[in-house]
Amino acid sequence: MSSSSKAPVAGPVVSDRARSRLPLTSSRPSPRTDARRTVAGIDLLRLALWLVCAAVVLVPLGAIVVLAFSANHLPLLLSGDILQAGTNSLVSAVASAAIAVAAGTALALLLDRTDLRGRRVLRLFALTPLLVPPFVGAIAWIGIAGPTGPINKAWTDWFGGPLWIIYGGDGVIALLAIHSYPIAYMIVSAALRRIPTDLEQAARISGASAVRAVRTITLPLLKPAMLSAFILIAVGNLADFGIPSIIGLPERYVTLSTLIYRYIQSGTVESPLEVIATIGVVLLVVAALAMVVDLLVSRSRWELDDSASAVQLLPLGVARLPLTVGTWLVVLAITLLPLLALLSQALLPAPGVPLTWANLTLDNIVRATSAPSTLVGATNSVLLSVLAGVICGVLGLAIGTVVTRTRARSNTALKTVAMLPQAIPGLVIAVGWLVIAPRIGLFNTPWLILCAYVMAFIAIVVQSVSAPLSATPMTAEEAARISGASRLRALFDISWRMAVPAAIAGSVLVVLTAVRELTISVLLLAPGAQTLGVNIFSLQQAGAYNAASALSLIITLVGLAGLGLAARRDR
Amino acid sequence: MSRTTQVVSAATLVALGLALAGCSTTAEADSTAAPEASAAEALAPATITVYTSEPQEKIDAIVADFNVDQPDVTVEVFRAGTGDLTARIEAERTTGDVQADILLAADSATFETYKADDLLLAYSPADIESLNQDVVDPDGFYVGTRIIPTVIAYNTGMIDSPPTSWADLTDTDYAGLITMPNPDVSGAAAYNAAVWLDNADLGDEWLVDLAANQPVIADSNGPVSQAVAAGTQPVGVVVDYLVRELAAAGSPIEVAYPTEGVPYVSQPVGIFANTDEQAASEAFVDYLVSADGQALAVEQSYLPVRNDVGTPEGAPAMDDIAILTPDLDVINDTKAAAVARFNELFQ
Repeated sequence: MSSSSKAPVAGPVVSDRARSRLPLTSSRPSPRTDARRTVAGIDLLRLALWLVCAAVVLVPLGAIVVLAFSANHLPLLLSGDILQAGTNSLVSAVASAAIAVAAGTALALLLDRTDLRGRRVLRLFALTPLLVPPFVGAIAWIGIAGPTGPINKAWTDWFGGPLWIIYGGDGVIALLAIHSYPIAYMIVSAALRRIPTDLEQAARISGASAVRAVRTITLPLLKPAMLSAFILIAVGNLADFGIPSIIGLPERYVTLSTLIYRYIQSGTVESPLEVIATIGVVLLVVAALAMVVDLLVSRSRWELDDSASAVQLLPLGVARLPLTVGTWLVVLAITLLPLLALLSQALLPAPGVPLTWANLTLDNIVRATSAPSTLVGATNSVLLSVLAGVICGVLGLAIGTVVTRTRARSNTALKTVAMLPQAIPGLVIAVGWLVIAPRIGLFNTPWLILCAYVMAFIAIVVQSVSAPLSATPMTAEEAARISGASRLRALFDISWRMAVPAAIAGSVLVVLTAVRELTISVLLLAPGAQTLGVNIFSLQQAGAYNAASALSLIITLVGLAGLGLAARRDR
Repeated sequence: MSRTTQVVSAATLVALGLALAGCSTTAEADSTAAPEASAAEALAPATITVYTSEPQEKIDAIVADFNVDQPDVTVEVFRAGTGDLTARIEAERTTGDVQADILLAADSATFETYKADDLLLAYSPADIESLNQDVVDPDGFYVGTRIIPTVIAYNTGMIDSPPTSWADLTDTDYAGLITMPNPDVSGAAAYNAAVWLDNADLGDEWLVDLAANQPVIADSNGPVSQAVAAGTQPVGVVVDYLVRELAAAGSPIEVAYPTEGVPYVSQPVGIFANTDEQAASEAFVDYLVSADGQALAVEQSYLPVRNDVGTPEGAPAMDDIAILTPDLDVINDTKAAAVARFNELFQ
């Protein structure tokens, strides 16, 4: 995207090379000379991408904006809690994204670049929060760190006061970070794989410590990926509903997405739809600002060639044991504790029944898996999420490569359009689609949900793809062009292929997110239809909390097994 | 590329696994039992769509029971929380007509709004004289289908002397131990706030005292009952049927019906004016409040809207429950202010 900012400049693009002492590659060619003859193909591709984006993003966004502006609801919002809620949203999104990226990067370095013990298993554990629906995770965490949870109870017994009560702003930030650091880990780890260890080795040979090598060589090279992850997570967390509603509201910590529910649910405002559309537009503006920041910050960046040499793990030396123990403890604490909470709930007949061998039962697991609606939900969710994953994968790959590997003034706009829906709560996205559904003939069909999934999750793939690509030099494409390939051909044969692993990682994230999605599905489902997220929610609404836990646990374990297989590709 | 294939195959496995997780058993509830006997009154084949916030398992049972007498009426159910239902109905109204024939959800306030917007069809179900007249709309646009009172729930393992009245909740013994639903999220909780403030015995003073005990404001009734059962907060203000169901499942939870009386919502049912299947819709409404429909409601742990079907196991008889029936117009007018007052106090 930063290349677009330099679009008018013909000739070499200099990416702050002066600051770099790394062995960077030669500059980009001047494509302008023959551009006019061969633009057709690539322009057609760009046009096609714009058309698709218009269909799945701009039209529903337009419906939301039209709704929002059909009457002026800003005075009502300004008189209400919108400023406080907006501040809370912004603070929680930015803080949680910063923590998530820091944790994700640290994990990526430790797990992919060092000789930490038990890396492979640890990597699996680290990804589990992705698979637990946030509203289920939040309830599991209340059981752990709530006012009368075991931790605070024990602490009160020992020291006379609770250690930390999860309710409120700090809890929201912590849980948002816990549920989003796996995304940062996956994006940073994909970028890390493209950074040759030769550079670290060179630094080490020259006498730098392992820490120094990472700090001065690897981290700067990871900056684009970290920034991509940060923007994606911050914007995504703006829209999260489950965590702030369960963790934040008890302490009256209101965010924009919980405010939306207040207006739609309490029945205290006229035309609630217009009011929530207005909040959606406010979130859109915030997201657009985030994209501008992204653009400004990512202007200076590094590029480097792929390495053919095998990955050399950094020896941790004397720090190996303490780091191994420390990392294991932290990762297990934030992943295994909620899983254990889920497991104990799944095996007990009802909340509050003491955990003893005699009380354990498989009834909940049977109930959760044998309900006819679970089968329908599983089929629908798997079908829809895999389709959404594939479509987002292809579309995101195309958008990600086009905006990072070609130049056009419209690149920034294209990427922004793909990113914006990430910031809007599922409820607002669903309302947008509901409004246009009858006109496009998709009302009460699963394809409506598919369209909404693609809109909501396309950003994940676009960010996954553009992060590693923006740090890769254009040399291979140049070689292809010199050998006579058209720009489109070079894009297909070179750029796409380089980005395929990142696109697949992004698609997997989309599938994992979509398979348990709740808010969009619940509004857009046809009567009688189900998805897994709705199944869990329905069980919970019916008071079958333990069966809901059982179903969440099964989804998590099956997802983990799949991820375990995927992770084996590495080593 | 081999990496790619592995990832793809792994992703496929995830997909397959999830599909398998769902189909471990496929016990299809066959709902098309069609007795010949009632065929005389049975309607011609029709399909009606019901929007409801009733839990999935319960509405499935209701539809199955309805189909015993009306085998040819197909009932399609769209189930969601009250807020999601409102959002869907509002979105449908924006572009055309509401796509449902029947709404079975929430409280009378929601129906009053739709009635004012001319969205509802006037219909008084058969046998309306046998119903509790408090839940019948005098204008005949909707009728309540259950009495869902908000009560006090407590954890039997942790609370030795349970509160028996709303006033008891302000006792400092319960400081930090109480949880209640959020009126911003739960329509019933918003209604309750207005009823409490309107009540001469309770009113603003009581609410101030309650706030001094620093209750945890949970999302909605579900999490409240869960927190009480699990002991996270051992005392809760919550709808009664959730407590009975948890107790039946083995949770250490018990319900107390406060002596001052309980506010309740009635989960009304109404027919949308633009329905194409008026006869079938009316039959469904008739069924819901009929003795059969109410007997099923009792089986499903709800207090009924008729006096001839008993009460759920573990619940007192209807005559023994003091019920607060305030002036609905007053409540609707004061609700927004009550919620604001609540939010102001429970910071």
